[in-house]
Amino acid sequence: MPIEVLLVEDSPGDVRLTREAFAEVNSSIHLHVASDGLEAMAFLRREGVHARAPRPGIILLDLNLPKMDGREVLAHIKDDAGLKTIPIVILTTSNAETDIAKSYQLQANCYLSKPVQLDAFESLVKSINDFWLTKVKLPQQRQGT
Amino acid sequence: MKTKTVLRHKLQRDNPESKDSGAKYRGLLEAAPDAMVVVNEGGEIVLLNVQAEKQFGYSRDELVGQKVKNIIPEGFAERLIADGTRTAAEALAQQIGTGIELIARRKDGTEFPIEIMLSPLESAEGILVTAAIRDISVRKAAEKHLAQMEGRYRGLLEAAPDAMVVVNPGGEIVLLNVQAEKQFGYSRDELVGQKVKNLIPEGFAERLISDGTRTAAEALAQQIGTGIELIGRRKDGTQFPIELMLSPLESAEGILVTAAIRDISVRKDAEKHLARMEGRYRGLLEAAPDAMVVVNPGGEIVLLNVQAEKQFGYSRDELVGQKVKNIIPEGFAERLVADALRSAEDALAQQIGTGIELTARRKNGSNFPIELMLSPLESAEGILVTAAIRDITTRKKAEANLLNKVEELNRSNEELGQFAYIASHDLQEPLRMVASYTQLLSRRYKGMLDADADEFIAFAVDGASRMQRLIQDLLAYSRVGTKGKDLLDTSGEEALQQALINLRGAIEEKGALVTHDPLPTVLADEVQLVQLFQNLVGNAIKYQRPGIPKVHISAARNGGNKWTFSVKDNGLGIDPQYFEKIFGMFQRLHKREEFAGTGIGLAICKKIVERHNSSISVESEPGQGSTFRFALAGSGKES
Amino acid sequence: MEAIGRKGMPTEVLLVEDSPGDVRLTQEAFRDANNAIHLHLACDGVEAMAFLRHEGANANAPRPDIILLDLNLPKMDGREVLAHIKEDDNLKTIPIVILTTSDAEADIVKSYQLQANCYLSKPVQLDAFETLVKSINDFWLKEVKLPQQRQNG
Repeated sequence: MPIEVLLVEDSPGDVRLTREAFAEVNSSIHLHVASDGLEAMAFLRREGVHARAPRPGIILLDLNLPKMDGREVLAHIKDDAGLKTIPIVILTTSNAETDIAKSYQLQANCYLSKPVQLDAFESLVKSINDFWLTKVKLPQQRQGT
Repeated sequence: MKTKTVLRHKLQRDNPESKDSGAKYRGLLEAAPDAMVVVNEGGEIVLLNVQAEKQFGYSRDELVGQKVKNIIPEGFAERLIADGTRTAAEALAQQIGTGIELIARRKDGTEFPIEIMLSPLESAEGILVTAAIRDISVRKAAEKHLAQMEGRYRGLLEAAPDAMVVVNPGGEIVLLNVQAEKQFGYSRDELVGQKVKNLIPEGFAERLISDGTRTAAEALAQQIGTGIELIGRRKDGTQFPIELMLSPLESAEGILVTAAIRDISVRKDAEKHLARMEGRYRGLLEAAPDAMVVVNPGGEIVLLNVQAEKQFGYSRDELVGQKVKNIIPEGFAERLVADALRSAEDALAQQIGTGIELTARRKNGSNFPIELMLSPLESAEGILVTAAIRDITTRKKAEANLLNKVEELNRSNEELGQFAYIASHDLQEPLRMVASYTQLLSRRYKGMLDADADEFIAFAVDGASRMQRLIQDLLAYSRVGTKGKDLLDTSGEEALQQALINLRGAIEEKGALVTHDPLPTVLADEVQLVQLFQNLVGNAIKYQRPGIPKVHISAARNGGNKWTFSVKDNGLGIDPQYFEKIFGMFQRLHKREEFAGTGIGLAICKKIVERHNSSISVESEPGQGSTFRFALAGSGKES
Repeated sequence: MEAIGRKGMPTEVLLVEDSPGDVRLTQEAFRDANNAIHLHLACDGVEAMAFLRHEGANANAPRPDIILLDLNLPKMDGREVLAHIKEDDNLKTIPIVILTTSDAEADIVKSYQLQANCYLSKPVQLDAFETLVKSINDFWLKEVKLPQQRQNG
């Protein structure tokens, strides 16, 4: 059964890179993309065009997003009893200590800093896949709120 | 009774005139103020007066016919005895006129001193002696007292520290002390009786002469208490300045003058010296470039120079005597005020040497900033304060300017730092796209397009990745300033160890041998110190010929609390002409193919070292390895 | 140019595990992974909380960078420990990796509800276990940005 992954990322370039990288290591991923915080929440709440969106098994979240930024998305999701069990992996360019600390305070499941170089990035995606999508027990996705 | 009658008769009989003269004589006798006694050749009293009765406590009858010895036991009768050498008349003649001091005895047996004056009295019975007997008890007591006083006085005189000389109304020295002997170089005997003019040629004797206008007593009275400056002359003829203090001394000889004579040569010299100094001082004052003002303990200006006139816009006369408060309203007079806690001297001592910044006021009321430098000045009037007053208007302006410039510079630096950070940070994102996708292109399409395409893509990939590294390095460089932390006690040992841990991959790969001496604790930003070591050791390992790279790190004390660190390697060495260039940003001495790197490592080292208030230098020769050196301040405590 | 790493301080790992055998295996697996790790042990929930709260003998205990938490513990079980930690504002930022034998859905869901950072099920086979620990090391101690531990509370 394919794993549903929600990638919240505004840079199309990064989206493509992530997609390519995952493709290299795991062919049974359904990668969904939201390009800003609002879209992400709509997807998760199955609003509007996302009425039939699947529930992601894991969320990869960039912090710097237009409209509603990743920090807010994180806070909203973790406030939501129905959504808070979905692991959130922060995947962002910032490695500022304040961002890291804040994310864990908001109960992000883990924080990863996007490497600058391609091969390092690919390696990171691989390890996300290895750990989260192979070893970790994710909560089963129940179809319903 | 009988004797008197006999006498009467005899006188009458012998001299018909003598009857009258006898009566006249008796009258004189009775009226005499002194006791009078007439004694015959046999030493018997033949006549006396009522004074004699009173003086001796006898009645007339008890005394007439008595031996005079009974009232004057010794000294009278004997004197009148005719002996082998002279007759009674001659004996008497010798006594006449002289007051003879003897002891008399009253009826009650008490004795008292007398002075007798003798005169002959011719009579039918021969030469009688009339003795006027004066009771000199008082005088004797006075003389005793005087002698006592004189004795005491002489003692004081001798003990006096000054030379003391007592002069009589005739200007002769009657008494002196040993100090006077020493001072004038005479012996006592040489001086007693000398005219005081010989010691003090002018100014003393004249002052005491009584003239038509005043008596010697008055003349003296006018001198009393004043120290008179005169010239004294020693026995050897040399002169010296003296100060006289006079006081009167009553004595039997009249009013004597006691003169205390003080040798004031030293004082005179000092006064001369002081006057000279003052003259010189005044000269210096005038010539001083700064405004100079001399203030007395009362806060009044006693002296100033022309610069002060100019600076304050007053003329000299307007300022002398003025309160210094009028030109320096606050901060000067107060500082010098003596209060219960300290004297004016102490207050001044505390100000000496420090430049005090205050505000001064010109005549026209305008204010200007000054710097005061104070120094004490000893004078006859006590401790004066000399104030050098410097107008620091320009200096203050310059300081304010400088502060402004520094603020501007700081702001500008901060902006620049931020700019560098933001620029490199924001450049990363698009750059990452370029680099990643060119690599993907290269990967996926290598060999699928033509050779040109491969080459083009290769250049693009290379360019992009170099740009990425440059940006990362630029970020690191700007972070030295923006992310720098305070300099705290940092263990050099631990910093080096961390750097070596970070370098362990490279160390293992090259098989490098890294050694070090014990390193001290220094004041540093820990993260930056690690970076410094890491860059230097990393370079040392990198820029090597084939072989075993050896690196040695040491530290040596460098005067006081500074340490000079050395990182010495056996690498390629550096041509001296490049010693400065290598610390520049992105400066490289090798081709990319030879050694990787952007050339920012040493620039970062330099920036870190400069941030630690120090500098970095290199010693090297091509082929001989290099030694990089930098100094850091030691910690507050010993490591 | 290499990035400057964090101060060369070892990673503090708190392993809350009552089975000595598993403890030993975990230690070995981490040792092989070649990191500077200080592995601290608590064999039940009470000890774990005392360690985290610096109580008693634990007055000088370091703050863990990460907690590996077994669910089935005597005295106070892992679920309670998880709840306590996530309720404590001071402690809730420490990532908690559930490492337990259970793979029951209820446990999994409950753990995520209590905001466990991730849930791992202990493999039965030794080499799989070693691989798992290695992957914990590779992911959490190499890739993940852990919050800096400032010593408060």
